[in-house]
Amino acid sequence: MTKQKTVYVGMSGGVDSSVTAALLKDQGYNVVGVYMKNWTKSLPGFDCPWKEDFQDAKRVAVQLGIDFKVFDFETEYKHKVVDYMIEEYKTGRTPNPDIMCNQEIKFKLFLETALEDGADLVATGHYAKVKNGKLYKAKDDNKDQTYFLYRVTEDALRKTLFPLGEYTKPEVRKLAKKFNLVTASKKESMGICFVGKVGIKEFLSQYVETMPGDIIDENDKTVGQHEGAIFYTIGQRQGLGVGGGLPYYVVDKDMASNKVYVTTNLNDKRLWTRKLRLINVHWINGRPANNLVEVRTRHRAKCSVGTLYIAPSKKNIAIELDQEIRAATPGQSAVLYQGDLVLGGGIITL
Amino acid sequence: MPKVYLDYAAATPVDDDVLRVMKPYFFDIFYNPSAIYLSAKAVKNDIAMARAKVAILLGAKPSEIIFTAGGTEANNIAIRGIMDKFPKSEMLISSIEHESVREPAKDYTVNEIPVNKQGIANTDKLKKMITNTTALVSVMYANNEIGTIQPIQEISKIIDEVKKYRKKNGIKLPIYLHTDAAQAPVYLQLQTHKLGVDLMTLNGGKIYGPKQSGILFIKAGVNLQSVIKGGGQERGIRSGTENVPSIIGFAKALDIVTAKRSMQLKETQKLQEYFYSLIKEKLPGVIINGSVKHRLPNNIHITIPGTDNERILMELDERGVMCATGSACSASNDEPSHVLSAIGISEKDARSSLRFTLGNYTTKQDIEYTVDILTDICL
Repeated sequence: MTKQKTVYVGMSGGVDSSVTAALLKDQGYNVVGVYMKNWTKSLPGFDCPWKEDFQDAKRVAVQLGIDFKVFDFETEYKHKVVDYMIEEYKTGRTPNPDIMCNQEIKFKLFLETALEDGADLVATGHYAKVKNGKLYKAKDDNKDQTYFLYRVTEDALRKTLFPLGEYTKPEVRKLAKKFNLVTASKKESMGICFVGKVGIKEFLSQYVETMPGDIIDENDKTVGQHEGAIFYTIGQRQGLGVGGGLPYYVVDKDMASNKVYVTTNLNDKRLWTRKLRLINVHWINGRPANNLVEVRTRHRAKCSVGTLYIAPSKKNIAIELDQEIRAATPGQSAVLYQGDLVLGGGIITL
Repeated sequence: MPKVYLDYAAATPVDDDVLRVMKPYFFDIFYNPSAIYLSAKAVKNDIAMARAKVAILLGAKPSEIIFTAGGTEANNIAIRGIMDKFPKSEMLISSIEHESVREPAKDYTVNEIPVNKQGIANTDKLKKMITNTTALVSVMYANNEIGTIQPIQEISKIIDEVKKYRKKNGIKLPIYLHTDAAQAPVYLQLQTHKLGVDLMTLNGGKIYGPKQSGILFIKAGVNLQSVIKGGGQERGIRSGTENVPSIIGFAKALDIVTAKRSMQLKETQKLQEYFYSLIKEKLPGVIINGSVKHRLPNNIHITIPGTDNERILMELDERGVMCATGSACSASNDEPSHVLSAIGISEKDARSSLRFTLGNYTTKQDIEYTVDILTDICL
């Protein structure tokens, strides 16, 4: 008889991680629930923002009759995720802290700590599939979270279970009800967790000094004032506080002169691109043999077909797309696929 | 699955008779008591009757009672009302006061009177802590977490001595004794002149009355700065259109608990002893916190070493038993309860502590069931 395997499940107090724990227990694993205490900014009026999620996670552990632990990653999380995010914004890029969190915290620190603590495997409530150290898109196209997972290593994936990859979100909700979990009808959490209730603008304002500056349109005309170039994301349609008329799209920004460039013309060349340049490239299972790839530049965005070019240094890559896409945002990630298989990806640069 | 509620110190259900007397004031006689038409004057008169009733029950005069929205508000009015009047003065509070005393006190110069390991305020220390600039001493009647009863009469005698001394020596600053008696009325006598207090807080939500109802007793001659300004209701100390149903309900609730007091005390004491005996029998190693002698009969506070109290609370809840880990506000916070720290319980043991508070509807079977489940979880 083989020894029953021990899985440490990252439990956030949400419905997805609750069902993950329940499914694994059902499958016969020895399940240990772990609440990762990550960094949260204390805000006036919100005494202890993680208290309810923590209690929900613990309650589910009680309902399932599994052990429950708390891993305190506050210091590392602040350093690796929050500081990184702030630094990226300062340089004018729009980073993705969730990807960083998966790379540095969940599938590194959590995994290492769990293994040291006696786990054979770890699991989270991500919508993705993993098989033999390879990462695949989830069954639920709408929920697929592989965009956030492309920087996880093959070694980590070999120690990881994603049971929700085989289910759709509605199925997961049904399972939560079936298992009678306290989190069954809990609302989806939105946005960056540690930014939470304040929103990114107010959050950044506490760390970065911002100055108002000019908003300049395609005719070089100053059309309004912004509160700080840092708050603007290239490629996005944005409320610029410029009243009435057509919507504006951010095409560029100059952090040094604190200028934001916009256009009302959706056909503006600067908004579209056929070439993506990626740095800090990460391949999950090494470089692909075939250069024909599909690319996704945002979570849940449709994949675009392109051809992969690898720089001689092998550190940077470029992708020549078959069709133009709306300009990608520097700092965000482009994730490469071949069918359902996730190859890896990199950070978009200009 | 049975449903066993053992958190009466947090909230009590509203008594049927209380609800019955409140009801007309929501519908047929909803008038603003300050209006001039006779129907409104009748309501005003009903408030006066309620006030007189409360006064009688407390051995006080009607003019000494102001109605508040709950205990927290009454405590705030007492502290701010006195301390704002004498801005250069100081106050003393016991180290186990409820947050609704601790927090407003932080806005003034305040020192804490220590308690002994039994959870009883040290009156010798108190005596030494009073200075010529002390204007207010606030010590709760019975503690909300561990149920310990404080020596209010003894403290009152100390304050009386200070009052005499100040009179003799021409010190103009008055000194007052306030007690937060929110947990007391169901079991303890509340005659204000016997207790010897200048100010006393009661809370309807703990005596089978409506939540956010309460009173502050203010002895004649004690002048408070008004805290909530407006139309001048409640002697201008706490303005705002009177919450009539709540006032009527509070008076009725206090009336009922006073009438039932001695019977309830005996009944609950029996249950408490039963609870203790079952724990000792089935869960050896469990520690009972706070004085057993000077204690509310409805409070059982225990430490089960090595356990996670929040988890046990949830396990109990899953099986129908509702209890608390401390005062409701401290759950899951980083800081363990200040009350448990004050009686010398380590942070670790504090996180292994549970509070069960019994009430008028608690039965022997409830207690048997609870200890059975607890035993099942912990062993």
